[in-house]
Amino acid sequence: MSNTILEIKDLKCQIEDQEILKGLNLEVKSGEVHAIMGPNGSGKSTLSSVLAGKDDYEITRGSISFLNEDIEDLSPEERSWKGMFLAFQYPIEIPGVSNINFLRTALNERNKSLGLDPISAKDFLKMVADKSALVGLNNKLKNRSVNEGFSGGEKKRNEIFQMAMLDPKLAILDETDSGLDIDALKIVARGVNQLKSKENATIVITHYQRLLDYIVPDFVHVLYDGKIVKSGDKSLALELEEKGYDWIKMDLTV
Amino acid sequence: MDLDISSFQPVFKSKSKAALDVFSSLVFPNRKQEKWKYAKLKKIKKIPFHNQHSFLLNDFDHLSLPINSGTTIVIENGKFNAKLSSISLVDGIQLIPFSDLNDLQIESLNGYKKSYNNYFSYLNQTCLEEGFFINVLDNVKVEDVINIVNISTVENILANTRLNISVGKNSSLEIKQYFIGEKDAKNSFINHLSEFYVAENGNLQIDKFQNFEENFNICSEFIKQQKSSFFTINTYSNSGQFIRNDIGVEVEGEYCHTELNGVFSPSENQYIDQHTTIDHLVANCNSFENYKGVIRSNGIGVFNGKVIVHEDAQKIEAFQQNNNVLIDDNATIYSKPELEIYADDVKCSHGSTTGQFDDEALFYLRSRGLGRIKATEMLTIGFINEVIEKASGEHYKSFLLKNLLNQ
Repeated sequence: MSNTILEIKDLKCQIEDQEILKGLNLEVKSGEVHAIMGPNGSGKSTLSSVLAGKDDYEITRGSISFLNEDIEDLSPEERSWKGMFLAFQYPIEIPGVSNINFLRTALNERNKSLGLDPISAKDFLKMVADKSALVGLNNKLKNRSVNEGFSGGEKKRNEIFQMAMLDPKLAILDETDSGLDIDALKIVARGVNQLKSKENATIVITHYQRLLDYIVPDFVHVLYDGKIVKSGDKSLALELEEKGYDWIKMDLTV
Repeated sequence: MDLDISSFQPVFKSKSKAALDVFSSLVFPNRKQEKWKYAKLKKIKKIPFHNQHSFLLNDFDHLSLPINSGTTIVIENGKFNAKLSSISLVDGIQLIPFSDLNDLQIESLNGYKKSYNNYFSYLNQTCLEEGFFINVLDNVKVEDVINIVNISTVENILANTRLNISVGKNSSLEIKQYFIGEKDAKNSFINHLSEFYVAENGNLQIDKFQNFEENFNICSEFIKQQKSSFFTINTYSNSGQFIRNDIGVEVEGEYCHTELNGVFSPSENQYIDQHTTIDHLVANCNSFENYKGVIRSNGIGVFNGKVIVHEDAQKIEAFQQNNNVLIDDNATIYSKPELEIYADDVKCSHGSTTGQFDDEALFYLRSRGLGRIKATEMLTIGFINEVIEKASGEHYKSFLLKNLLNQ
C-alpha cells in the first residue's frame, strides 16, 4: 500500500514582495516518480528551495506536509533528518573539507537527532564502498575536498552518492541533467533508478525531456507562472518536447 | 604599569641598569601611537601585577597537549618547573639556563637589543629573571621536536620569559611553543621575548599555540637569518583577553626562505593582534605570509603585516595575504597589509579580504543534515585548513582544529 510522502496545498510564496509560487498543489505517494517541467522563470528552483527549507522565501498561504507533518517551521537540517534530500543544480565547493568527513558528520548529526549512536568506522567505510560503486565515484574523489575542482559530471555524481548515503524518503533532483554529457547522464540516472523503492519517492525537476528517457516518471506536471497548469503521464513530456512551452502558454490564453 | 620593579631580581645584572634607564623613559603605549591604535591596553595598565612565583601544577594532563615524548621544558609563572619537565637531548644541542651564562655569553645574546622597539621588550629586558638558550651546533639535524610549555597559573602575575635559539650552519630544529594562561589565573600576564638566529643553510621551524582565556600575553619575537637559511613560524592564537604578537624578521643573507603563517580566533570580549615585519635587506630571497582571522561574537582581531624590500635587494619574491571571516554581526577586524619597496626588480603582492560565510554554502550543508553550528564549523575548517596544514604532526594538527573550533 502506498503512503503519502508529500502534500502541497495551495502554496503561495514570495521573495522580497515578489510572488513566485501562486497557488501550487501537488501530492506525491511512495513508490512514485514525479517530473516537474516548465520554462525558465516558472518557479521550479523556488519550489525545490522552499521544500528544502531555504529561509529566503516566505510562505504566505497554503501548506507543505511531509510524511504527514507540516514542515513550514522546520529548519533545512530537520527536514534532512526526517528524510528529505535536495540534489543541487549547482553543488557548492567546500575547500579543505573532505567528502568523507563531511558525509560522516552528516550521518552522525542525523543519528544524534534520532537518539542513535554514531556510526562505526567499519560500517561507515563499508557503506561508502557500496554506495560509491552505485555511481562509479572513484576513490580519489571520495577523499578530495567536497566538490572542489570536480567537473560538472563529477559534482552531479557526488550529489547522487550523497543521496545514496543518506537514503532519503523524498529525493528532489533540481536540474540534475544540466551540464551533463550523455554518458554522465546515464550514470546518474542509473544511480537514481537503483535507489528507487516502494517506500520512497522522487521528484525530478527539469527543463528538458532528455533526462526522462532515463528516469521514467509516473507523472509529469507542467509548472508555469507559479502554478501547475497541466498534469499527465510520461507522454506529456514528449508532447512538450515536440511542441515547446509556447504550446502551454497558448493553451492557457485560449 | 602598576608594578614594583625593585621586587624583580634581574638575570642580566650588568645590563638591566641600562635597560631600566631606557625603560623608565618610555611611555606606556596608547592608542595615539599607530602601532597600538586598536589595542585595549587599559586593563594591563591598571592591574596591580606582582612576581610572587609559585608552582601550582602537579601535571598538565588537563590541557591535553599533543606531546608524546622527547624534551619538554615547562615554565610556570616565569620559572623553570623541573618536576614537570623532561629533558633528553641528543649530542650537538645544548640547553642553557640564563643563570648559567657568563657575562660574555650574555653580551653575545644581546645582539638583538637594537631591534627592541617597544615598551614590552624593554620591560622584559629590565625584569627578566630566567630565560633559556638553545644552542644547536653546526651540522646537527635535530630529529625530535622540543616542546616548551609556558604557562601562568597565578592571578595577576607578571611572568617575563625569554627564549634564545641559535641554529648552527647546516643544522635544523623544530620547536613547539605552548603559551597558556590558565582559566583560574585571571588577569595573569606572560610578557615573552624570543630571539632566534638561523645560520647559513640552517632551518628553524616554530609552531606556536596560544590559549589565554581571561589572561594577557605579549610576544616580541626577533629573528635573524643568514645565507640560504629557512625560517618558519606558524602562530595559532586561540583565545585571550589580550594577545599581541610582534614578529620581526631580518633577512641578512641571500637565498633565504621565510614563512609566517597564522590563525587567530578572538571570541567574546577578546582581542588578538598580529603584527609582523619582514626586512629583506639583501637580494634573491623569498617570503610568504598567510594569516587567517576567524572572529566570533564581539571579538576584535588585528592584522598588520609589513614587508620592506630594501634598496638593492633585487629579485625578491614576497607574498602576503590576510583573509578574515566574521562569524557574528558584532565581530571586528582591522587589517592592514603593507609593502615598502625600494628596489626595482622584485615580485611582491599583498592582499586582504574580509567577509562572512556564504549563505548558499551554509544552506547546502544544512540540507545534508548538518545543524547551523556544525555547518559553520565545517566551513571554518575549510577556511583555516590551509594554514593548519603548515604545522607538522597529525596529532598536533587535530589538537589545533579541536581548539580553534571549540570556541
